[in-house]
Parts: sequence; structure tokens; C-alpha cells
Amino acid sequence: MIEKGKISALQMGILMYHAILATGILFIPASVYDAAKQDIWLSPIWASPVGFLCIFIAYKLNKLYPEDTIIQYSQRILGTFLGKTLGLILLLMLVTSLSVMFWQYGEFVVSEFLPHTPKFVIIGMMILLCASAVHGGLEVVGRLAGMVFPIFFLLFLVIIVLLLPDIEIKRMLPIMENGMMPSLKGSLVLYTWFAQFGIVYFFLPFLTNREKAMKFGMLSVLVVMLTLVLTNIVVIWIFGNVTENFNAPFMSASRYISIAEFLSHLESLVMAIWIAGTFIKLCAFYYTVVLGTAEWLNLSDYRPLVLPLGLVIGVFSLKAFLNSSEAAEHFEIVSKGFMDTLVYGLAIPMLLLLAAYIRKLIVRHKGESEK
Amino acid sequence: MKRSIAICFICMAIMLLTGCWDRRETNDLAIITGVALDKTEEGLIELTVEIHSPGGSGNRSEMGGDSGGGKNKTILQTGKGVSLADAMEDLDEKLSRQMLWSHAEAIVISKAFAETGIRDELDFFVRHPEPRLRSYIFISDGKAKEIIALRPSLERSSSEVLIKLAESEVLMKVTLFDLMEMLKGESGTSVLPMVAKSPREQGKAVLETVSYINRSAVLKQGKMIGSINDQLTRGVLWFRNEIKESIVTVKPEEADGYISMDILKGRTVLIPEMDGHRLKMTVKIEMIDDVIQNQTDWNLKELEKLQMLEAALAQKIEQRLTDTLEIVQKELKADIVGFADEFRRKYPEKWKKEKADWEERFATVEVTFDIEAEVLRTGRGSAPQ
Repeated sequence: MIEKGKISALQMGILMYHAILATGILFIPASVYDAAKQDIWLSPIWASPVGFLCIFIAYKLNKLYPEDTIIQYSQRILGTFLGKTLGLILLLMLVTSLSVMFWQYGEFVVSEFLPHTPKFVIIGMMILLCASAVHGGLEVVGRLAGMVFPIFFLLFLVIIVLLLPDIEIKRMLPIMENGMMPSLKGSLVLYTWFAQFGIVYFFLPFLTNREKAMKFGMLSVLVVMLTLVLTNIVVIWIFGNVTENFNAPFMSASRYISIAEFLSHLESLVMAIWIAGTFIKLCAFYYTVVLGTAEWLNLSDYRPLVLPLGLVIGVFSLKAFLNSSEAAEHFEIVSKGFMDTLVYGLAIPMLLLLAAYIRKLIVRHKGESEK
Repeated sequence: MKRSIAICFICMAIMLLTGCWDRRETNDLAIITGVALDKTEEGLIELTVEIHSPGGSGNRSEMGGDSGGGKNKTILQTGKGVSLADAMEDLDEKLSRQMLWSHAEAIVISKAFAETGIRDELDFFVRHPEPRLRSYIFISDGKAKEIIALRPSLERSSSEVLIKLAESEVLMKVTLFDLMEMLKGESGTSVLPMVAKSPREQGKAVLETVSYINRSAVLKQGKMIGSINDQLTRGVLWFRNEIKESIVTVKPEEADGYISMDILKGRTVLIPEMDGHRLKMTVKIEMIDDVIQNQTDWNLKELEKLQMLEAALAQKIEQRLTDTLEIVQKELKADIVGFADEFRRKYPEKWKKEKADWEERFATVEVTFDIEAEVLRTGRGSAPQ
């Protein structure tokens, strides 16, 4: 094992919470609204089984190969050549995914807050920051997540409470106006977020209390779901049918807060939450890319890879999309057509688990016939 | 080792420089407090902004040459263009400072502009990250520029007058967000407050008159189609459950004068009902009032008299609402009272059929009233001898 550090199952759960929710909290309401309209708060409930399934499969695989990450056991299950190929595909997808996340981060900061700062500065600073955290190893990332979580959650609740004077529950009516279909269609978009829970296969081997991994993994999915339901329901209570006019409705909602004239313009609070959460998310994915690459190359240490990969990701993310409509097309494709997160989060592990069971059957069969 | 420490320190020095990239100092900014939109005769958009002038020496406005106030600290600037953004570009050329939109809390749109449609131009205010969703929107009777050019003697600027007027909630109060919601609503109609200039008083400078809200503009699909007066506006407010302040004066039967009451609390609930092809709406109103003036010789401490007064009050409100409905349903055919959304919420399936020709169907809605008026305190005042 390359990674010497250990994290607890709770830290893993928190890490995953941030890894999913950080970007979701801002962009999910608007992207789900297109399909689900006033039922957006139902969609996370329909989408959460994907998260549970991802955790379950990763856990089962980990039971079979407790000391390995997916890059290693894919070779054990499928043989060196096929295993390496699969590992490469997985890594390429993760790198693309991570680059797109960095792009999203940069784009959002530039468009909403710092319009005159060049993007490479914003993305570059974040990559350097994440690189130093990832260089510290899994323990550092896990503990960071644990530190950020209470602040994140508290500020989130503060925003929700401050929004309460403006809510009008009427706006969410009628519930399920056109039956279940709109909210189910909306949940399709959310699959891509919940499927990201799949990346726990990189963390499971390094847990101190592995028997609790399942419990905290499931708990993490549940809390993510509840947070999303709460976000969506508040957004719909505040904005109703105007939700679609905003890129990041939760952000616009926080802008809308105005209590006693002086308590207003609280978007910086949301921005603080968001940057802290996104930082953890980026660290988590960055770490998986670095660790996966090192394992794929059979290196003895992953640390020398941190900065070079950071450079690659930085360049990728700066050149990812030329303009916002190109990006919109990309997100349209990954959320409705080819869902890359579903592939690496769910399809690949599922395939591996199936192959592992078949292999076991064959081995047992062979053993019996040799007797 | 020493070298690495030195590098560390240099890096830390760089940290101190962050945040300066997007800095905007207040003395580089032109803080926009009010916006007026007009259409010129050639069909161009004329954008007038009221800019807060921090100089403090009491500047004259560009067009207000003869104003006499002296303590107004705003200046006006106008730009023209084919779209709002284009007009802003023109405006930018004339301004030495960068415009800051986040304090533009009053937006006045001229009647002529509203008649050609406001939907497309609102897009600018929604898309731009700075203007706030809580900005108040008004329609001006004449040119919007003239409203914003007024030099009020009580407030610091005319936009502040407008904001205060809206916040007093005597008549309509519509924010940018409310307007967006109305434009997207089921009925496609919206209602906005209309401001007018009060007539010039003898011996006062032209611009020293005040603006006030006296009517409400009715819009269909973003285009203004007509307006209603203050009495009818209050009726609409009752329907929309937005009534905050209203003084009702009634003359009960058998009484020899008027009794005025101030509303403390009013709540309206609309209960829709679809019975086959017929549409029914029950308007349930609960209100609590205080008596503020009594011209009659009634002794309101008598319970019987009080009950009669309450009945008269309920009747008066019902009368007003019926009048409102008459105009709104039959004349304007604009569902500004929010019936469409209520029907949609209660009968989502049936509503889909009604929605197509709602304009016609709205006129056929049978409305029944269920008004419960309660007079809480009668006060002593000058009791009848």
C-alpha cells in the first residue's frame, strides 16, 4: 500500500458529503428545475438509491479485496492487461471530471464575484492549495473535511433560517401536477451527482474501522439527500416559477435576504461555504486521481505526482470549454446522454463485482473438479 | 535551509497582495440610485440614471437648472440606444466613473414604454449580477425621466421618495422579483404601481413638486393595457391578500354621518371550486379594525350599534370588491386578482383545459363573498352628548 495514513469511517462519510454536495448545492436546483418544475424537492429522494447502490457495491468489492483500491483489484479480477486498460479508462474519466470541476469553480468565481481577475489565477491558486493538501495525504484531506463540515453546515442552516421570512409555501403547490414523471426526469440529472459516491473505492482500504464503512457511507448519502431536499424546497418556496431564471438559485436567494435593512447582501456567506466545500471536493477527487495514477504505474510513492498532475489538470480545466454554451452542451450530454460519473461510479465497479463473483465460482468449480 | 525560509517569506508577501485585482474604490464609482426608462420618438430606449453625488456641496442636476432645494445630492445622466445594454454603453461614455448598479432600488418605466412591452428589457436587470431583486418597479404617467428629475424637499433624492412610497404599502408595492413572478404566472397578467407628479403649487420651483402613487397599471403579457384608480387598487390588494393599510369610511343605515375605521389586520383566502363547466370562487375575508373617527351620534359602546357598524363595514368592503371585480373581469379581462393560480393549485388536471382560453373564462367566474369584519376598539373620542 502506498498510502500510509488512515482515516475513520466518519471522516470518510464527511469527505464524501462534501465531494458530492459542494457544487450541487448551487447548481442542482436550476438544472433539476428544467424537468421537475415545482417538484424539484422530490427529485433527490428518487435519485438517492443510486448513491446507496454505489456505496454498497464499493463495500462488497472492498470485502473481497480489503487491502486494494479499484486500480489494484481490477488487475486481480480481470488480469493484468484488461485490468490496466480499465484502470486507464477510469483514470482518464476522473481527470476529465476533475478538470471540469475546476473549470466550474473558476467560471463561477469569475462570473459572480471577480470579473476582472484572470481565470488562471483563480484556478491556479486553488490547484496549488489542493496540491498542498493532497501532498499531505489522505489523513490531511480527511481531517480537513471534518474541520470544514460543522462550519459548512452551520452557515447553511443560518442562510436557511434567514430566508424563512420570505418563503411562501403556496409556491410549491400543486405537488406532482403532472404525475411522478417530471420529478423522476429531474432525478436523472441528479444521478450524476449521486454516482460520484462511487469514488469511495479509493478510500475504503484506508479506514481504521472498516466494519462501520457501510453505515457511515449510507448515512452520508442520506444526509446529502436531506440537504438537497432542504435546499430545493427552500429555493422553490422563495422563487417558485422564477427559479429557472437563475444560474445558482441558492446564491440568488441569499442575495435576496434582507432583514431589517442592514442584514442583507449575504452572498459572501454562501460563497464562503461554497468555496470551503468545493475545496474539499476538489481535494478528494484530486487525491483519487493522484493515488490512482501512482498505483496504476506501480510507483512506491504518490507524492511526486501531485504537482505534475496538478499542471495537467490546470491546463485541461482552462482549455475545457471556450464559452458558456459549449459548457452547457457538455453538461447536457453528461447529465442526459453519456453520464461519465455513472460509468466510473457505478458501471465499472458493478462490472468488476460481477466478474469477481464469476471468477470465484469458476475457481470453486475448478477446485471441486480437481478433487 | 536558509534559502527555503527566504522563499517562504517572499511567497507570504505575495499573499498580502491578494484581493487587489478586482478592487473598486468608492471614489471610482458612480453609485446609481434610480433608473428611468423612456422610449424616444424614434423608438430608441432612453435610459436615465440618478447618480448619488458624494460631493455634498449640493450639485445641480444636468436638467434641473432652476431647482432651488440645495440639499439634493444627486445628478442625472442620460444615454440612448436600441437596447438597455446599448443605452448603458452610451451612458458609460458620458460618465467619468464606473457604474455601480447594486443600489439601484427604484426603476421607473414610462407608460409609453410599458405599452410596447417590458419583458425583454427586464432581462437585463435579471441577468446583470448587480441590480437587486428587491428593486421597486413603477410605471410613470408621463415621461419617466421627469419623475426621477424631481427635487423633493423631504427626502434626499427622488428615488428615495419612490422607495419610501412603495414601502408604505398604501397602494401597490411591486419588486423586480414580484414582477418576474407575475410575468411567469398562469394568467400572464401583472399589475404595477403608477406614479404621477403632483400639480405644481404657486410659488414653488418646477422640480420641487413631489411624485406620488395614485393608480395602478395593468399589464397583459408584459404590455400595458390600462390602469385602475386607487379605490380599485385597494380592491385588488384585498383579493391578493396584500392589504396592509386602509382607512374605510362607512355611513351605516339610520346613521346621520360617517364613521371611519383603520384596518389593523386583513386576511384573504381564495377558495376555488370547479363544478362541471362552472367556475366558482369564494372570497373569504377576515378583518379587524379600529374606529378612528365618529361623526354620528351613535354610542359605539352599545353592542347592538357595534354589530350594525360591523355589518356596514363588511358590506362596504363587499361593495368595493364587487366594483373592482366588475372592472377587472368585464372591462379589462385581466386576471390581476390571482384566480388563475388558485385554480391551478386546487385543480391541476382540470386547469390544463381552462388555461387555453382563460381570458374568456375568467370573466365567467362566479364570485361569492364571505366577509367577517370585527371592530376591536371604538375609542372614546368626543362622545355624543
